[in-house]
Amino acid sequence: MPESSAAPPPRGAKQSPAGPKPSGATIVLENLTKRYPGSATPAVDSVNMEIKAGELVVFVGPSGCGKTTTMKMINRLIEPTSGRIRIDDEDVTDMDPVKLRRKIGYAIQSSGLFPHMTVAQNIALVPRMTGWSKARIGARVEEMLDLVGLDAGEFQGRYPRQLSGGQQQRVGVARALAADPPVLLMDEPFGAVDPITRDHLQDELIRLQHELHKTIVFVTHDFDEAIKLGDRIAVLRERSHIAQFDTPEAILTNPADDFVSGFVGAGAALKRLNLTRVRDVPVVDFPTATIDDPLQSIFDKLRSGTTNELLLLDRHHRPYKWLRRGDLMRAKGSLARAGTLVHDTVTRDATLRDALEAVLTDNTGRVAVTGRRGVYEGVVDMETLMNSVQQLLEEDRLDAVEHQHELEEQRAHQTRQEQEGTTGGQGGRP
Amino acid sequence: MTRGDGPPPEGERHAGEHEVQGIAFRDPEEPGTAGPHPRGATGTGLDGPGRDGQSPPAPTPAPVRRRITWQKLTFLPAVLTVVLLATWLWFRGADLDSIARNSIDDGNVWLRLRQHIYLTVVSTFFVLIIAIPLGILLTRRRLRPAAPVVMGVANVGQATPAIGLLALLVIWLGIGTRAALIGIIAYAVLPVLANTVAGLKAIDPTLVEAARGIGMSPLGVLRRVELPLAVPLILAGVRTALVLNVGTATLAYFGGGGGLGDLIASGITNQRMSVLVLGSVLTVALALLVDWLASLAELLLRPRGLEGGT
Amino acid sequence: MSFWEYVGNRHAQLLADTYQHASAVFQCMVVATLLGVTIGVATYRTEWAGNLAVTSTATILTIPSLAMIGLLIPIMGLGVAPTVTALTLYGLLPIVRNSIVGLRGVDASLVDAATGIGMSRPARLFRVELPLAWPPILTGIRVSTQMLMGIAAIAAYASGPGLGNEIFRGISSLGSANALNQVLAGTLGIIVLALLFDAAYVLIGRLTIPRGIRA
Repeated sequence: MPESSAAPPPRGAKQSPAGPKPSGATIVLENLTKRYPGSATPAVDSVNMEIKAGELVVFVGPSGCGKTTTMKMINRLIEPTSGRIRIDDEDVTDMDPVKLRRKIGYAIQSSGLFPHMTVAQNIALVPRMTGWSKARIGARVEEMLDLVGLDAGEFQGRYPRQLSGGQQQRVGVARALAADPPVLLMDEPFGAVDPITRDHLQDELIRLQHELHKTIVFVTHDFDEAIKLGDRIAVLRERSHIAQFDTPEAILTNPADDFVSGFVGAGAALKRLNLTRVRDVPVVDFPTATIDDPLQSIFDKLRSGTTNELLLLDRHHRPYKWLRRGDLMRAKGSLARAGTLVHDTVTRDATLRDALEAVLTDNTGRVAVTGRRGVYEGVVDMETLMNSVQQLLEEDRLDAVEHQHELEEQRAHQTRQEQEGTTGGQGGRP
Repeated sequence: MTRGDGPPPEGERHAGEHEVQGIAFRDPEEPGTAGPHPRGATGTGLDGPGRDGQSPPAPTPAPVRRRITWQKLTFLPAVLTVVLLATWLWFRGADLDSIARNSIDDGNVWLRLRQHIYLTVVSTFFVLIIAIPLGILLTRRRLRPAAPVVMGVANVGQATPAIGLLALLVIWLGIGTRAALIGIIAYAVLPVLANTVAGLKAIDPTLVEAARGIGMSPLGVLRRVELPLAVPLILAGVRTALVLNVGTATLAYFGGGGGLGDLIASGITNQRMSVLVLGSVLTVALALLVDWLASLAELLLRPRGLEGGT
Repeated sequence: MSFWEYVGNRHAQLLADTYQHASAVFQCMVVATLLGVTIGVATYRTEWAGNLAVTSTATILTIPSLAMIGLLIPIMGLGVAPTVTALTLYGLLPIVRNSIVGLRGVDASLVDAATGIGMSRPARLFRVELPLAWPPILTGIRVSTQMLMGIAAIAAYASGPGLGNEIFRGISSLGSANALNQVLAGTLGIIVLALLFDAAYVLIGRLTIPRGIRA
């Protein structure tokens, strides 16, 4: 039921309720269990989970908790001992695994690119195996490289070892998406790259998902990554028991138990800042002037304005300097010497955390927001930030309480249904 | 053999009991443990308590690896014994004419075998005292630039057929044991040298640096760090030399050096299959036995802590 | 008669021997490669089978070639048959060992990725595992070839083909004027052949190993 994805509380940045229909598929795990011969306790013990179409679900948990095993059972790299897997209402538990895997993208840590094949050959693998025409494959390779932000002409003939770690990872994602699978599995894909690159790749994935609306299962042990990427997060404990499966907001503000709160770690309120984007808070206007304006008009603006400060823009309307009333006097009327340079700006896609960071470094109590090509659009100030955060936290709290209530009702409903003997309702929306 | 090696065979004796019997290496080397473990104990199996009281308290790390190795070690001698016995029985029953009789009479077989062993042992000794120091020298900092040159020459040398090399030496030095020995040695020096250089080069440079860092002299680094770490590879070199030399020694006959090649060659030229087979079987048995002994040495001399490596 | 005069006089014979030597080694290498890689592919997945394959081929290599030929003559008679059999058997070890080591050395995460994107088992073997294991296999083939060059010379004693005949002719006429020329012609011929083969393998490596995994 793909429509249902629009129903849960919209998450500003990641899900646009009015956006295109998700191309993803629902995934349902029923009593999924993996028991290795010779070990008393199962590695994965009866996991039940429903992943909605177009949703990005992150499995997070300590190492050895069975999160990777659970994920690998979805494309049957590991055969489940018992339980069922359904993708888009089709039972795939007994389907030919090779066919199944061609419909599921797979990206792993350290990219898993084949070193003896060029970038283009790597990306073309799955389309070629599924019998696409040559022309279509060629076009698709370029499209995919473009999608992950690599120049096709420059990169397609290269070998993996001629790429940086981040570029390899991009190609890995491109390969996984090449045959346009509805489902994408990602096994700690950004685990082996440096923090800065990882941050970029995460942003990129958010952007991609915004365009593509795949159903993505993402495994990581990094909770911050989970918060940043996940529409919903499944916090797993040993044997893949689900400690909490909820939105990042709910997990941050209302952890289900000590295990989850231990995993969330300190600074939940700060982490909350990562979940909201600048576009979700009021961006206000601010008096501006361009450096081409005559000096006199700038003086007038400074004197007449409600604030005693204005933002000086360069010729391309990019934020250039913060100018205070006294600055021009002190610089003896020279615009070149007056004021303080703008150090940092944010876009509407930036997180509130980035915005706060910029406010603190720029030391003016506000940060300029820019749009395309760095053109000025408005500012966000400290007060707005603080108010927004307060409000967000309060809303989360209410949401979480309500959500819990809903869950309980749902559970009760399900039990009732089971007791009455009707087959288990999927998702059972109250 | 140390005491730590004693206990592992306990477990093995069940599986390998029959194969083990009569193999000389165990009894003389383990006089201490042979006593407290009489036949009966082995027969009654692994009744733990009684055994625990008797056996030395040596905690045996007895990994699976080793277990397999010991079984492998007992397998080969058993097969060899059977093959030699079968050959002997077949030979006794065979109908020999005067030519064949000539080839094997008067202790000729025994003489050839002794010659062969002599050639192998002496050549191996010289190969080792030439190749290993040379290998060490080539990995010292001052001579390191020369290493690629020497290895290049070694590679071309490798392409030289042993029989051709031997024949040239015989023409140069005249027929006899000396030419044969030099040929055998020349032929085996290169692989052992390559082994040694590779082994020393493969040592983790951070270890050498650490050793220098704690104030060891260059000689100390070599003696205390590099050589012990290269022991497995040097031992592998010894094994290579031995096996190669047993093989090349069969060719010594063509240079008048004797050896088991004499039996094989006269078997071929005189069309006497019995002689041919006897010579071949003895050569094969000797080669496998030498290889087996070398593998045993590798197992016993390899420094503890490096056992996992190759 | 100087060496070059000798070569000039006997060039027909020498060329024929050289051709036979090369052709015997080459043909045995083709068989040994096919057989060795097949054995490697069949056994590398199982611990014991792979080890058994390596151990048994290593045992064959331990046997001195003259003795091996000696054991084959009673079964096959003199001539080409025991030569070819012995050469193929000796050629196996480096190829079997390097195939197994190479196939086992393929990064597990790559095999996992190949499976994960939906490759069938044969596709995985031919598209990923064998191409990645190819450089060590080719090294094995090189080592085998060089070894067979020398062994083929010895096989001439059992009436095998090739340049070994030249060497043995020299040995049997020790003391005569031509002995040195004969031995030298045979030996140098084999060295040249070995180096030519080696150069060919370098070329094959250049052509068949993808740039992405070339050392």
